[in-house]
Amino acid sequence: MSHLSLDQLIELREPGSEPGCEGALAHLRQCEICRAESERLEQRVARLRALPTPRPSRSRFLETRAAFVSSRRRRHLQRGGLVGLALAASLVLGFGLRPGSSPIGDPAPAAQTDTELGEAMARSRDLENALRLYDPESRILDGRTAGITLRLEDQLSAVDRQLEMLSTLGQLHSSRRHEQLRLWRERVGLLDALMDVHLTRASFAGL
Amino acid sequence: MDLYQLAKEETLVPLAKRGDPAAQEAIYRAFETPVYGLARRICRTREDAEDVMQETFLEVFKSLPRFRGDGSLWGWIRRIASSKALMRLRRNKYRDTDELEPEVGGGVKENPALRMDLEAALERLSDTSRAVVWLHDVEGYTHDEIAQMMDRSVSFSKSQLARAHARLRRWLGEEVAA
Repeated sequence: MSHLSLDQLIELREPGSEPGCEGALAHLRQCEICRAESERLEQRVARLRALPTPRPSRSRFLETRAAFVSSRRRRHLQRGGLVGLALAASLVLGFGLRPGSSPIGDPAPAAQTDTELGEAMARSRDLENALRLYDPESRILDGRTAGITLRLEDQLSAVDRQLEMLSTLGQLHSSRRHEQLRLWRERVGLLDALMDVHLTRASFAGL
Repeated sequence: MDLYQLAKEETLVPLAKRGDPAAQEAIYRAFETPVYGLARRICRTREDAEDVMQETFLEVFKSLPRFRGDGSLWGWIRRIASSKALMRLRRNKYRDTDELEPEVGGGVKENPALRMDLEAALERLSDTSRAVVWLHDVEGYTHDEIAQMMDRSVSFSKSQLARAHARLRRWLGEEVAA
């Protein structure tokens, strides 16, 4: 029998020899040259395993966490979190504006609040759409941008939680309507800031 | 890998599943070096390996709620990292042929001074061969698993491994006259 090929020697290292390997194994036991080649193969594999593990130059946890928070918030929106919230708010608005509905505070300022609330919600929706189109999750962030993004995303999540809590209260007293307006405005501000961070970074990086 | 963190795996995973930042960071710290190491051995550049590391952990954090704990956390993370690194290779298609053999008179085996070290030889392999040899010989994946991850056949994985070893043997000056 001629010497074993490298393919055969590699095959013999696999767990569970296939039929036909017995002859090769028998040859390996008898042939000094093939045994030496097999040992070199084993040593090469051992050396590969012993190579030092390269280490990253810096941690990217902040960037990863920012991308995670951003994606989680968007998933929540897609599942109807804020859509439901906006719907609930608009129902409240509709109810508040109906003539003859129960008077909650002064009707004139309430109508003004409702208009402003509608505007803030529309602006918030536009910014969310713009952010979705920009798709920041698919882009690699630098550490500084990630830190700012993470802070803004966390603040957005906190605002959303408060809005969701308010929406569970049903028809809102005027003071709560003002609180709702304040939160929607804050949300718009945060989304604006988030857009700015991404766009500034994109223009600097030429993306 | 931090063994202390690993010992805390059972505590950390349920918290990380709920998006707890401290638990996520502990998992990140425990596995960032092995994930980066795997990515760096498969990818051509340091930048690509760092991007793969970030993509891997983002996927880990997003998919943790679906992690059932049938196998080890590292086994699960490693599978994600391998897939991400292979995806990056496919996307970039840097080089899928081995570099030319060094032009040295008389061949490398006659002159030990011209032998490459293992790191250099590994770098010199084609992207596919290097990925297969690393996943099989170091990470311990079977040809079936590699074929599945690469969306290729088992025989493709086997032939890439044999090819890689033939190259390494030559470049490391290990060939002997039969």
